[in-house]
Amino acid sequence: MAHRQTNVAGRIVYIIVVIVALFWVAFPFYWAFINSIKKPAETFRPTWIPLVQFAPTLEHWTSELAIPETQHALLNSTMIAVGAATLSTILGTLAAYALARFRFNRPNNGFFTTWFLSQRIMPPVLFVIPFFLIMRQVNLLDTVWGLILLNATFTLPLPVIILSQMFRELPIELEEAARVDGASRIQAFTQVALPLVAPGLVAAWILCLAFSWNEFLFALSLTSKSAIPMPVIIAGAEHTRGVQFHYVGVRVLLTMLPPTIMALLAQRYIVRGLTLGAVKG
Amino acid sequence: MASIPNPLDTSQETLNQKQGFSGHENREDSTKYVFLLPAVVWILVFTIFPLLYAVYNSFFSFRYGKINQFIGLGNYGRLFTDANLHGALWITIVFVAVTVSIEMLLGLGLALIFNREIYGKNVWRAIMTLPLFATPVAMGYLGITLFYETNGPVNALVSALGGIPPPWLSNPTWAPIAVMIIDIWQWTPFVFLVALAGLQGLPEDVFEAARVDGSSGFQLFRHITLPLMAPILWLILLLRLVEAFKVFDIPSSLTLGGPGRATEVYSLFTYRTALRFFDHGYAATQGFLLLVIVSIIISLLFGRIRDLYEVSR
Repeated sequence: MAHRQTNVAGRIVYIIVVIVALFWVAFPFYWAFINSIKKPAETFRPTWIPLVQFAPTLEHWTSELAIPETQHALLNSTMIAVGAATLSTILGTLAAYALARFRFNRPNNGFFTTWFLSQRIMPPVLFVIPFFLIMRQVNLLDTVWGLILLNATFTLPLPVIILSQMFRELPIELEEAARVDGASRIQAFTQVALPLVAPGLVAAWILCLAFSWNEFLFALSLTSKSAIPMPVIIAGAEHTRGVQFHYVGVRVLLTMLPPTIMALLAQRYIVRGLTLGAVKG
Repeated sequence: MASIPNPLDTSQETLNQKQGFSGHENREDSTKYVFLLPAVVWILVFTIFPLLYAVYNSFFSFRYGKINQFIGLGNYGRLFTDANLHGALWITIVFVAVTVSIEMLLGLGLALIFNREIYGKNVWRAIMTLPLFATPVAMGYLGITLFYETNGPVNALVSALGGIPPPWLSNPTWAPIAVMIIDIWQWTPFVFLVALAGLQGLPEDVFEAARVDGSSGFQLFRHITLPLMAPILWLILLLRLVEAFKVFDIPSSLTLGGPGRATEVYSLFTYRTALRFFDHGYAATQGFLLLVIVSIIISLLFGRIRDLYEVSR
């Protein structure tokens, strides 16, 4: 829809709106970044351009990364996110293939799809106590495993919806040809269908990774020491240390850059994932 | 859990026999459960079981995190009389109403603006998606510095524009606004992205025809764009309402629910009932009330977006 833009004033207003919108979105990231490389004495000076207005330093990054708790939390976050995303992508892809290629009766495919999707709508706070008590019973409290299991559960709808759509878009003739050549159903799935949906597979995995990395409520309620991930470290930080802008900057970026960068790689599938498959971006 | 496939299996077999499917196809029937069952069992174990456990807990009073005695519907009765819970619910409703309406308007407006050929379009769009996966807790934490009352960047801007810098985080009127601003920052891009995807999927010829008929820009928007976009806009509204009612992360890190109880949203209140006061039974009933609220929203709005799912299936 190329609008005919003949009005010069309108064009200027339009450019200003775009710039303001981009500035509004990007500012917090930039703010965190310059604080993370400013010397403490510079914190409250209105200087914005490193090298030109102030001499940048990496000392906050190196000292933050040298803290054992931070290293441990980064490792925990990585393990939780990778573990949960992998588990949920495997389970979700299998279910997606089943829903796309087979017919189920009583309950039917539509029921299963709705049921999978409804997991994203449940208020997580409802599950905090049951999970807390169950995890305590089975000795998974304050373990990375407990959080992997939970995050895999609540991200499961993403691969189901993204991949069932992709499987439906594949021409079924390819798999049928493989079957004629003697491949089993499972071989047709692993050797023909799966490689063809590889981009969707990676995207679903990445989105699950980002959601699991960012998850806070369960991480807060089910960890106390050894399994604490980055979001929980950050939430408790201002009490122990006061507000030191440079550390805020480092910690915020350490926490939110990994999921943000990962999500950029899966950009084509973000809209699809976030609207539970209703809108294809 | 293993009992689930059996009734389905038999029904499928009888169905196939009636329709005269071959034995080869029958073998496939068990294969299809190999694909579906892991996820089904997984969800049953990790959601239905805890939900039943929560129902069970909700009938008991707790003391120091241990079941004290059976009180029937006593916890549900407390939902109607607990002024603090009503306060948290009201804070959440105001939060949802303000943030979701602003996000919808801003997001749709931006989508209309960005929906044309501009230089470096993909780069602009990528920048607009950045907030979506920025860890909400981290954003709340960063907010402490953004809204810092002396010389923080927000107040520096307010002063530069000639305003009086407000006491963002220490004042019960301003603290909820600070929380809302962060939420709006984070989720307007979601409305923007989905609305933009919707706009780009609209049929161009309808607009051409209307332009030939001499319709103005606003008439086009009011009579063509808006009706065509309606299902997608209802969907965005539904998803945003549901997510916003569950808000937890930003107020937990930006204001810790304070000052006082000014930003103690529903989920934060329930979390504290559960893990600060260890009143597990009452926390469970609060969780169910939130589930009921979310379900009502879904049932009210879902009819309007059903078309969207039918088209895509």
